[in-house]
Amino acid sequence: MTGTPVPPVSALQRTLAAEHAAIYGYGVVGAHLSGSAKTTAAQYWTGHRQTRDTLTAMITARGVSPVAALAYYDLPFPVTSTDAATALAAHLEDGVTAAYLGVVAVEDPRLRTFGALGMQAAAERAVYWRGTTLAFPGWPGTATLG
Amino acid sequence: MPRRRLLTASAAALPLVLATAGCHSADLFAGPDPLGGRPPLAPGTVVLEAVIAAETRLISRYKSVMSGTSTAPSGHQASVLESLLAQHEQHLAQLRSMLVVPPGAQASESPSATASPSPAASSPARAAGPGSVAQLRAAERESAATLVRQLRDVEPALAQLFASIAASDATHATVLAAL
Repeated sequence: MTGTPVPPVSALQRTLAAEHAAIYGYGVVGAHLSGSAKTTAAQYWTGHRQTRDTLTAMITARGVSPVAALAYYDLPFPVTSTDAATALAAHLEDGVTAAYLGVVAVEDPRLRTFGALGMQAAAERAVYWRGTTLAFPGWPGTATLG
Repeated sequence: MPRRRLLTASAAALPLVLATAGCHSADLFAGPDPLGGRPPLAPGTVVLEAVIAAETRLISRYKSVMSGTSTAPSGHQASVLESLLAQHEQHLAQLRSMLVVPPGAQASESPSATASPSPAASSPARAAGPGSVAQLRAAERESAATLVRQLRDVEPALAQLFASIAASDATHATVLAAL
């Protein structure tokens, strides 16, 4: 948590970077899924692309160049099975949730609301993949603050 | 006279001494008037108290549903409710750890009445009495929405805590919908 407001553009850029990573990651996830899970992954991938475009427009409107996607992202673990793909999807959504948490620390109330709603959407997607809820979505590494 | 009683008597007599001398306490101190009554709570503290009160009500509602005599959940449903209740208790503990009421200030008696948006406090989803899983789901949705409104005007760290709890509550509502 932060005690001082975060510059809006920095928070938005970090969130855009997380969305880029999610878009890349869902490509890997989808390759290892089938049936309804694959369909859901495709829907979520599309949603992340739309949010990427929204964030890009928000950053551009502030006179700043949006951060670009990387050509390649290191995966946190090998993805060679359905279970690993599902775990990666949850991991990606956790990362997006944490990025939106940074947006909540800006001073602008509208951006805070945008960040909070982004957190909710990502946390719900993470629950779809993980099957369990967290007490404190967005906090790094653990379900609790303690 | 014991020393403690002497100090008490001296403090009580101070305004009288100042008045007799033609002084106002504000003349003697650069900061807030120490004799001017209890300081008001910061707006963020008032909102935090309201959130704590709402979280406490939500926990009570869970316990009410889980202990219902005729409709008490069992099996998988009971297990899920216990898990969600445990997370709400974590929320409450974390919220309480953020509450710092300065010495001399008094916690507001009715936070939900003084802090902005607490429509949830009087809504059907929050009403007292036995409830159902469907009512819990509605209460979770309301909690998430209310927290998002309340985080707009508090300090960043508190806003982030509210946002995280709101996200947790939103996922609870989704899980409850599947029961």
